[in-house]
Amino acid sequence: MDPMNYIVLAAIVFTIGAVGVLVRRNAIIVFMCVELMLNACNLAFVSFARMHGNIEGQVIAFFVMVVAAAEVVVGLAIIMQVFRTRRSASVDDANLLRH
Amino acid sequence: MNPLPHTALAAPVITTQPPQIDYALLAPLLVVFAAGVIGVLVEAFVPRPRRRAVQFTLAALALVAAFVLTVVRVALLPAGGAGLTVASASIAVDRPTLFFQGTILVMAIASLLLIAEHRHGESAFAAQAATVPGSEEERAHVLAGSQHTEVYPLVLFAVLGMLMFPASNDFLTMFIALEVMSLPLYLLCGLARRRRLFSQEAAVKYFLLGAFSSAFFLFGIAMVYGYAGSVNFAVIHDTVAAGGAGALPGGGPLLLLGIALVGVGLLFKVGAVPFHSWKPDVYQGAPTPITALMASGTLVAAFGALLRVFYVAFGGSVAEWRPMMWVVAVLTMVLAAVVAVTQRDIKRLLAYSSVVHAGFVLTAVVAASAEGLAGAMFYLAAYGFTTVGAFAVVTLVRVHEGGAESGDIASWAGLGRTSPVLAGSLALFLLAFAGIPLTSGFIGKFAVFEAAVSAGATPLVVVGVLSSAVTAFFYVRIIVLMFFAEPAEARPRVLRPGRLTGAVIGVGVVATLVLGVFPGPVLDRLSPAPGAGTAEAQSVPGGFATTADLFANR
Amino acid sequence: MELYAPIFVLGGIGAAFVVVSMIAGSLLGPKRYNRAKLQSYECGIDPTPQPVGGGRFTIKYYLTAMLFIVFDIEVIFLVPWAVHLDALGVFGLVAMVLFLVNVSIAYAYEWRRGGLEWE
Repeated sequence: MDPMNYIVLAAIVFTIGAVGVLVRRNAIIVFMCVELMLNACNLAFVSFARMHGNIEGQVIAFFVMVVAAAEVVVGLAIIMQVFRTRRSASVDDANLLRH
Repeated sequence: MNPLPHTALAAPVITTQPPQIDYALLAPLLVVFAAGVIGVLVEAFVPRPRRRAVQFTLAALALVAAFVLTVVRVALLPAGGAGLTVASASIAVDRPTLFFQGTILVMAIASLLLIAEHRHGESAFAAQAATVPGSEEERAHVLAGSQHTEVYPLVLFAVLGMLMFPASNDFLTMFIALEVMSLPLYLLCGLARRRRLFSQEAAVKYFLLGAFSSAFFLFGIAMVYGYAGSVNFAVIHDTVAAGGAGALPGGGPLLLLGIALVGVGLLFKVGAVPFHSWKPDVYQGAPTPITALMASGTLVAAFGALLRVFYVAFGGSVAEWRPMMWVVAVLTMVLAAVVAVTQRDIKRLLAYSSVVHAGFVLTAVVAASAEGLAGAMFYLAAYGFTTVGAFAVVTLVRVHEGGAESGDIASWAGLGRTSPVLAGSLALFLLAFAGIPLTSGFIGKFAVFEAAVSAGATPLVVVGVLSSAVTAFFYVRIIVLMFFAEPAEARPRVLRPGRLTGAVIGVGVVATLVLGVFPGPVLDRLSPAPGAGTAEAQSVPGGFATTADLFANR
Repeated sequence: MELYAPIFVLGGIGAAFVVVSMIAGSLLGPKRYNRAKLQSYECGIDPTPQPVGGGRFTIKYYLTAMLFIVFDIEVIFLVPWAVHLDALGVFGLVAMVLFLVNVSIAYAYEWRRGGLEWE
């Protein structure tokens, strides 16, 4: 199978994630969509690593996973904080700063 | 059996040699990191009442030591050449790196003083961030005088990311630096003592948009990696020059996509239109000392990284990225200036002003020349000092003694009569933002516009000058309001600057004036001497064959 | 086929362990039932009745999940190091020890500040 197919798949997954970020209103789901985008990047890295025959892409994928986990922790902490104040995780409810 | 029979695959090479690392060149990064880690230990083991003093001392010592080490490293660089790379060429230590790191460290020290400023045992940060705003629990913590000393290690980690960001010589290091810089800042944004709902909302916005943009950045890196087979800037540069990698012929579209997406990620951090929407909200919602850090340190770091990526990695495809930067620069200078005119809150106004300034620096990036680099570096340093000073002033003007900051510009009327020194300093900062002669802002603007003109971007400079005129209008409006308008009914209370805040404002004033009146020594050092490049590059004006030669990358 | 023999053996041992310990538990363990023990989940949230709105996890679960992730994800760096332990030599060992020390410091912070207490 042509490894380019995986790149196409990565692009599709990335797009689904990006659209999700733009159309969904729940902060947690928006956040999950961002994680989907990061995973699409990982797929692209690993596929390109296979095509080029070097391991740089695989190494990057490891680092991306760690960064994604760190982002989850920070993100959940912030979203939780707002949720406790407002009892809602909707991005639309957070509108004090909108002028 | 090879599942990919039609692609020639070499066995992945895994080097078993431990890398040679010149720790002296990395010393400032290591010092800041170690101090951050020790700061976490302090949080865990030092009794509560002593934490603040210990943390502040530790952070201040670390930042000063890192600055000294940065200055010392200038002597370690080989004369004439661009510089050195460290740790398997993942970090570049060259003149731009040292200049950006030095600037970031000075800004970080200034911001740290603002962060540490205390009045009646109150800092700018929430007593206990985990409590719900307005709850009994929160009140109990406020009365007990709790404070978040975690702020100091978080700031140190953010500064570590900022130091790494413009020094990265490959995309992996750069991505990690971006995250190390951003993650603590997301948290710090949500820690304001007053208007905590605003602050938390700013944190959510900054976080979601920041994560979104870093995903774009990462996908861009993936595309560039697909094109070049490496994320190292020098290798990417060579691959671009050779017209593509052997394993993947015809990867031109990948490169273009990569440039665009990496550009989105970096321009978001810079805050250029159309990726600026986070800036006003976050600058307004975050605790003002953190805003000062973001407006100076993060901006410098992000531009340092942007310059390195576009001058080194994509230095051979200037023709491809220049139109994109043109459009972004024009949009940034025009739209942000127009929107800034309508702002009523001082922090939002300064945020839009920061967006406009990002547009001015982008004109220097478009130049893609040694002069452009020098101009951008000078501009960023000058703007950093001025903006830290301006935000320091903002922290002092309160609704009432011990109250929230009075952001409404209308309430600042007549401030020049009640507190002439403070209003005078702010007026100086605003004049520097506007680019009036004898301030650092004028020299900075002159340097970037000159670079853009000599690179043939005259229309861009015309737009820049017009945008300057529009922004000058609202800066002058504030000055007029402060000095010539009758004091407002609900006059804000101006606090006496504490020693720390006073020092920051003083440094801002001095730097703005000195860089404005005697810019020579700094500008001459930044501008490359004629013929400083390699021998075969002499034919090119400026002495450099490509923009990549301005940086160490091998 | 004999390449996979250890895996099958390991799987067999694992299955045997489960069966043996379940039987041993039911034979040897004391049987003092009460109301809490007869619920479908002995600990954790009550399965019925669901609160209005479909039921939400309490915030403590997110907290625990976050703390868990920090210590879970470090394995990502440990595995490649372990696979290439010989080749990486002293440099790899020192680097990994430093990494683990840093993670432990985060752990120390969490422990001292009460992050591990379930109220």
